[in-house]
Amino acid sequence: MVNVFFLPVFFIVFRETLETSIIVSVLLAFLKRTLGPEMDPVVYKKLVRQVWLGTGVGLFICVAIGVGMIGAFYRLGANHWAGTESLWEGCFALIASLVISLMGAALLRVSKLQDKWRLKLAKALEANDNREGGFLTRLGRWTEKYAMFLLPFITVLREGLEAVVFIGGVGLGQPASAFPLPVLCGLLGGTLIGWAIYRGSNLGGIQIFLIVSTSFLYLVAAGLLSRAVIFFEMNEWRKITGGGEVDETGAGPGSYNIRQSVWHVNCCSPGVGGGGGWGVFNSLFGWTNSATYGSVISYNLYWIAVSLGFFVMRYKEKTGHWPLIKPKATDDIPSPGYGDNIATEGVSKEIGVISQEM
Amino acid sequence: MSPSLFHLSLLLLLPFGLTAYAATVTYDWSISWVTANPDNALARPVIGINQQWPLPHLIASVGDRVIVNVANQLGNQSTSLHFHGLFQNGTTHMDGPVGVTQCAIPPGGRFTYNFTIDQAGTYWYHSHVRGQYPDGLRGALIVHDPESPYKDQYDEELVLTLSDWYHSQMPPLIDRFLSYANPTGAEPVPEAALFNDTQNLKVRVQPGKTYLIRMINMAAFAAQYLWFEGHTMRIVEVDGVYTEPKDADMIYMTAAQRYSVLLTMRNDTDTNFAFVGSMDQDLFDQVPPSLNPNVTGWLVYDETKDLPKPTLIDEFTPIDDFTLVPHDGEKLFENVDYSFNLDVKMDNLGDGANYAFFNDITYMKQKVPTLYTALTTGTDTTNALVYGINTNPYILKKDDVVEIIVNNDDPGKHPFHLHGHNFQVVTRSEEDGGFFNGSTPHNFPAVPMKRDVVMVKPNGNIVLRFKADNPDKSIPSNSQNNSTLSTDMVLAVHVSGSSIVISNGMSSTMIEAPEELQKNLKIPDDHMKVCVDDNVPTAGNAAGNTKDFLDLTGQVQPPAPIPAGYGMGELGPSELARLSKAE
Repeated sequence: MVNVFFLPVFFIVFRETLETSIIVSVLLAFLKRTLGPEMDPVVYKKLVRQVWLGTGVGLFICVAIGVGMIGAFYRLGANHWAGTESLWEGCFALIASLVISLMGAALLRVSKLQDKWRLKLAKALEANDNREGGFLTRLGRWTEKYAMFLLPFITVLREGLEAVVFIGGVGLGQPASAFPLPVLCGLLGGTLIGWAIYRGSNLGGIQIFLIVSTSFLYLVAAGLLSRAVIFFEMNEWRKITGGGEVDETGAGPGSYNIRQSVWHVNCCSPGVGGGGGWGVFNSLFGWTNSATYGSVISYNLYWIAVSLGFFVMRYKEKTGHWPLIKPKATDDIPSPGYGDNIATEGVSKEIGVISQEM
Repeated sequence: MSPSLFHLSLLLLLPFGLTAYAATVTYDWSISWVTANPDNALARPVIGINQQWPLPHLIASVGDRVIVNVANQLGNQSTSLHFHGLFQNGTTHMDGPVGVTQCAIPPGGRFTYNFTIDQAGTYWYHSHVRGQYPDGLRGALIVHDPESPYKDQYDEELVLTLSDWYHSQMPPLIDRFLSYANPTGAEPVPEAALFNDTQNLKVRVQPGKTYLIRMINMAAFAAQYLWFEGHTMRIVEVDGVYTEPKDADMIYMTAAQRYSVLLTMRNDTDTNFAFVGSMDQDLFDQVPPSLNPNVTGWLVYDETKDLPKPTLIDEFTPIDDFTLVPHDGEKLFENVDYSFNLDVKMDNLGDGANYAFFNDITYMKQKVPTLYTALTTGTDTTNALVYGINTNPYILKKDDVVEIIVNNDDPGKHPFHLHGHNFQVVTRSEEDGGFFNGSTPHNFPAVPMKRDVVMVKPNGNIVLRFKADNPDKSIPSNSQNNSTLSTDMVLAVHVSGSSIVISNGMSSTMIEAPEELQKNLKIPDDHMKVCVDDNVPTAGNAAGNTKDFLDLTGQVQPPAPIPAGYGMGELGPSELARLSKAE
């Protein structure tokens, strides 16, 4: 199961797809409201086609880049990592743990995405009015003309590349076969929910789903961190014992460093013979048959760190500033997505804002 | 002088000039560090005698009294000398194993070994302090016999020692061997093999002559296959036991085994012939690609001719030593008085290191040397308890026929040595023969092979018999690991052929007729003095208790075992132990 469906990949793809589909839905809703098929069917159709074209082209480029990168990565990997496998696996698990931890919080924010993109769209359109002459004017006119293409294109590209990088990070230690299925499911799920949002569904149910899945992601990340520590320790243990012998010993004495051992069960090893169910248990929750001081302590510290992180973020969201830091003065631009009124305020900024966002 | 030439001179010992009358042979040996480079790869400190290495041969004739005055000038290590293969009948305290029959000779200390030799043949001497001898302190011990049944069948005698060789010194090697970092108990793999403590050995021979070649494997660990190209060996002695002549193209010598062979030279001098020792790589856990397991020598008929490269062989086909027949025709001991098993196992204990076990007991040196316990525990001396559980003690009665069944529950080859006696090897199973089944009838040979070191095959078994008749006759000798005493004393048995393995606990102690020992044995003052210098008690039970001999509080014991199914560090052991029981 682990080898064909790596859960973090699913969540990453799901999240990025959802974000993309929300943008598309926001754009389509915008077009429908401002132009509508009954007002100017030709222009409306043209613009709708632009939206889908932008989405399609962006998606295609992302998929191409992603497949290329991951493919190249694994072809290289086969030769490069054989000797020091534990060390690499440790690094991969560590990176994956970090990526998932950062992703998790972002996933919770998905329900605010609609607002965020409404605001951005408003900004983008607003900005069109302030164009001067010269190159910028020409560029401005061009972007105006093709805004309905560029917006989804750039968004899809941005979200997609982000997904590629994240998937790459999370999935470094996974076989290539672990990707297609979760990617596909993520794409389908994200699109489906995006479509539901477009149709005006209630976001409450989605929020609960997001909370559950985020909690799950953090369990995975904690396990990964602990695994990373075990991999590093195993690398050291191989050095201490001089190599090959560790593998001979299966799950018995000698398969672990007794001086670091907190407990050891001579069975249920996730690493021996593919691991079976214990392997799933291991990749989901970081189960190990041979716990070390390092792996247990790191697991606990991880939860302390994540909990602290969320407390801090909640504090920021409630009070508008980080704990122990003075609130900034009034010209602070509120982060997008906190309140519908922002979309109508009309923030006047250079077009640069958009490109920065991109 | 090149090392090989130097060696050659040692090799060509002639048996002439040795008297048939009992004489006293005295050696004054100062033991100290010297530098040597026997494999021409690394100059390293080795333990020499009188500033010399390779070591001198200890030569005597049957009936001679041998006195060795040892002065330990090593500065940083204790030492002792063991005379491997000599029974030390009545002089058990001269046997040499530290912690069994004596205390270690500390740096600056002096110690005299004084015993009579009544056995003929090929032996060796070596240090018997924790794995020390592979650092160089081992040499040939030859006892000439004016009445040898083969004395008319050869013209000259040669001594050929075989050995493995390490570039590291033993203390760090053994520390690593016996540590948590070596959980599989893989023995250190040697860097080279040696003939007469050198390589590319040239032995000048004369056509047509017959040589008696005394071969000794002084290895720390490695057994070797040995063959002479173009010549057939005729085996006439193993481990000090004359055998009926037996032709062999190749022999297999475990650590501590000896063979004497008659080798008749060709009549022409057209070609020189190579002879080869090849370490048994089955013993090595991982063979480094750089290892050359072979050592080569040449029978040099003509120094102007080439030294041919040895021919590659397809497979090793050594003679089976079980088929040898002792020349004295000693019949199988039929009526066994006392039989017990020694089941060999390797396992990890709570410190993570790998230990060897006989019947689930690993050998641990006790506070009081076992011999001194036997002498000072009064009537409790016949109670095995007083020697400490981890000496794995067995009390033997005088003149009993003893049978030891060794079941090797380990996939390794283990040489097994008994001090103080030669044993009859009444059966030896093939590899994977499993445990010995005494309930089915066995066809034991009428005149079984006898020797003092025998190899038990991987997951196989052997059955050994001997008569505990040593009280005033023989002195036990020990081989590699521990020592033994025979006759009235302490007899240690070990499996494994090496000083290296000695240290992992594969030993048992046999205390033979201890009450006779109490009557007859007086420990010399210099033996007592080294104990004082070492701060080692010389009386009482294994724990040094001189009041209540059956109170073993404080006896030396190994680390606790790892609970079945579970290993653990310091957290929650009781919890986990309970869990493991549940499982």
